[in-house]
Amino acid sequence: MKKTHRAALALLVVVSLAIVAGDPSSGSPPLRQLTMLSEDIPAGLDPDGASLGLPPTQTGIVNLLDSLIEFAPGATNADGVRLLDFRKYEGRLAESWEFDRQSLTWTFHLRRGVVGCSGNTFTADDVIYSYGRAKSASGKIPLGWFEGSTAGIEGFTPEVLKKPTPLGNEVRKIDDYTVQFKQSAPPSVLFLPVFAQWAGTGIFDSRVMKAHATGSDPWSHTYSDTVNLPGFGPYCLEKWVKGSEFIVRANPRYYRGKAAIDRVVYRKVPVSANRVAAVRSGAAQLVEHLTPKQYVSLTSAPNVKVAGVFGNEVVFVHLNWKSPPFDNVKLRKAIAYAVPYDQIISTVYLNQARRWYGVMPSTYPGYHLPATQYRTNREQARRLLAEAGYPGGKGLQRFAKAFQLTYSSEFEDTLGVMATIIRASLRNIGIPVVLNPVPQTQFSTQMYSKMDVPFALENTWKAVPVDGGYTLLISATTYGCCTNYNHFANAEIDAIVKKANVEPDTAKRNQMLARAQNIMANLVNFVPIVEFKTQWAYVKSLKGITWHPNNSVKWFDLRIE
Amino acid sequence: MQLFVYILRRLLTVAVQVASILLAIFFLIRMLPADPVARLVGSFATPEIYAHTKAALHLDKPLLTQLAIYLGLFPRAVGPGLLQGDLGRSWVTSSPVSQEIWQFLPITLELITLSFVVACVLAIPMGILAALKPNGLLDRGVFSFSLFAGAQPDFWWGLIFIYFFYFVWRLAPAPLGHLAPLTVAPPVVTGFPLLDALLTGRPDVSLEALHHLMLPVVTMAFIVSGPIVKMVRQNVIRALQSNYILYARACGLSQFHIAAYTFRNAFAPTLTIIAVLYGYMWGGAVLVEQVFSLGGLGQYALRSILAFDYPAIQGVVLTITIGSLLIYLAMDILHSVADPRIVNSR
Repeated sequence: MKKTHRAALALLVVVSLAIVAGDPSSGSPPLRQLTMLSEDIPAGLDPDGASLGLPPTQTGIVNLLDSLIEFAPGATNADGVRLLDFRKYEGRLAESWEFDRQSLTWTFHLRRGVVGCSGNTFTADDVIYSYGRAKSASGKIPLGWFEGSTAGIEGFTPEVLKKPTPLGNEVRKIDDYTVQFKQSAPPSVLFLPVFAQWAGTGIFDSRVMKAHATGSDPWSHTYSDTVNLPGFGPYCLEKWVKGSEFIVRANPRYYRGKAAIDRVVYRKVPVSANRVAAVRSGAAQLVEHLTPKQYVSLTSAPNVKVAGVFGNEVVFVHLNWKSPPFDNVKLRKAIAYAVPYDQIISTVYLNQARRWYGVMPSTYPGYHLPATQYRTNREQARRLLAEAGYPGGKGLQRFAKAFQLTYSSEFEDTLGVMATIIRASLRNIGIPVVLNPVPQTQFSTQMYSKMDVPFALENTWKAVPVDGGYTLLISATTYGCCTNYNHFANAEIDAIVKKANVEPDTAKRNQMLARAQNIMANLVNFVPIVEFKTQWAYVKSLKGITWHPNNSVKWFDLRIE
Repeated sequence: MQLFVYILRRLLTVAVQVASILLAIFFLIRMLPADPVARLVGSFATPEIYAHTKAALHLDKPLLTQLAIYLGLFPRAVGPGLLQGDLGRSWVTSSPVSQEIWQFLPITLELITLSFVVACVLAIPMGILAALKPNGLLDRGVFSFSLFAGAQPDFWWGLIFIYFFYFVWRLAPAPLGHLAPLTVAPPVVTGFPLLDALLTGRPDVSLEALHHLMLPVVTMAFIVSGPIVKMVRQNVIRALQSNYILYARACGLSQFHIAAYTFRNAFAPTLTIIAVLYGYMWGGAVLVEQVFSLGGLGQYALRSILAFDYPAIQGVVLTITIGSLLIYLAMDILHSVADPRIVNSR
């Protein structure tokens, strides 16, 4: 072969090799990436941190940490969203578990061969660390302690908050793959629901956490809130720019197999209209927290699917029993009959909501459709108002301050319209309602802290864990905590709920809870209006959306086809 | 020497102003009718958790003790404070406030600086040309534009621009921040995305950042150009009608010299309005940042205010105060150089 021909052939070979070597499709598969947009991204990652109440923070936590167990997958609804079966549990970091009723001890047999993002192997030491941290109540908001207390773990008492107490034998390592939890008597039936579905019961990679402990912060709260949340979950944190983006990569050694989506970019886009535009154009594959109108507009977009579920998002009219005239049951019933429910569903939610008749979300175990159900009936409302001592609203003017319908201005799109509709309807029967939108922080102070709002619209209340008995404990008893904003007080309800939450027989328990719900509906502890859909808009090639009760998307569930 | 004394006096005034504003904001935010603890603990807090969180944030202590802690008068007991250069930690994110401000401020400065450059490049010549023929067609058009632009809501125009330039015509990128979601951002050197991309050898990323800034810069330049063009036009007209210009013309000075005298005298008030607007925009760009998801200081301030994050609010107010006062000081110095009567008259 001539010299020039040999040189040309050699050059051809070299060039071909270079093309093949540089071609990304020649060896490794393409990176499957997902861009998800929300109104915010995680502000922190500490499950005991100040930002845990923010939905994006919970999304960050549940995608980085795994818990011992989780609810088993259930059916898929008409929208294609997978639901969970709240009666069954699946092992995650635990393979199996059993309960000894005599000693009130749960024994968890931990999964072997679980490797975290840092390369550390999961053992019982990580569980002991996680619950020691929870019991220390050292975070700004000790929700880990709260969960342990709700689950009935012995030793997780309010005294722990006053004096730091190390973990005792209530959570005990038997060997590297066996851990025991002791409950206090009588044992709460909320143990498994708490463990299965709460951001704070995730298990930390204790070695990484301990490596970042300091003298003033022995449990690494600052590290987990500002740098990383090391665990054994399906994703590892790649980059986190607060206020901008949160990027994760699939854990290649995840025990359930590497996630179908290699990389997720979770970005903050505060204006919902921009999120709509982004998913329409394909710049993003998944968006959340849009208005009902925006979701409806996206149903006609060619490459976009809108799917949702009636989960645990509800709206009710709050009536403070300690604020006259709302201490009058007939007046409360009059209001319940005067609310124009169908108009709210069609005007505010564009039919993406449904009537809610209960005192807890209808998807919750233990839910019972109450015998007393309020439907719009203005004649009945007027009759009850007269029986309450205020015929045609006469005499209600002296309660003008009480009839300020307060709501968070952050939700003006929905609650503002709803409040206007309700005002018009109540004024029609003589109740002098005026609107009172307030900033969210002020609403939180008045509603959740001082609990002195007489009359309000509430749309963020939800009970996690998913359990009817727990819901009534926190919202309807005088000894429970937190969400009995209206100061509902009924001795029979107190007794029923106390008994139900330690009743192991599900059928008996449900009967007790049914009775409690009937009493509460009859007394109108609040006026339930609607259950509205938790929805997402995403490109049609994205599959696997699953509803979790904290309304976070778990990226491990998803795949791109 | 007189200039040096003038600057020193002004710096001392700045220090007193900053201290006063700091004290005012410290007490004022604690007088607002909202409870930051309630906002943080949310709807599932027991009284014990509430008390625990209140103590963790030192809100259970008397106001003066809280002030002392904030100032850093007990560094050994509770950690450093303002006197040690520590702005505290955000109650929401637990990150140091100074670190967060350093993350968000360059993005805002990049946005408003580019916007002002574009606005000045357009507005100053427009104002001068309009002033050359008062009440002419161009002058009336420019005057109408200055009134119209200055009265417009920036967020509305931002959304309109997004709709047309991005959604309909696909000329602009999606309003998802200063880079596309899948672009790997350059390492942080200065904190300014455009500069950092250039400094780390990523000119492609710099171009992409510029492309993403296109619409927000146009939006802001449109709004701020209104008052600038009006001020330039007004002052050039005044200067051209002054006795010294009339005398200059009578003496037969060239157009170039007349223009130089006119500009020097008309420039000072224009500089003032630019400085005032620039200082205002440190926090005033929040709506544009929100619309274009830019994550600047305005958005950080808004988040802090809505969350009643006291350390972050105090840090933002301090930063904007110092920034504004230093800008005004710089303008005063420039005025002094341009017009020595300002220094000599004191």
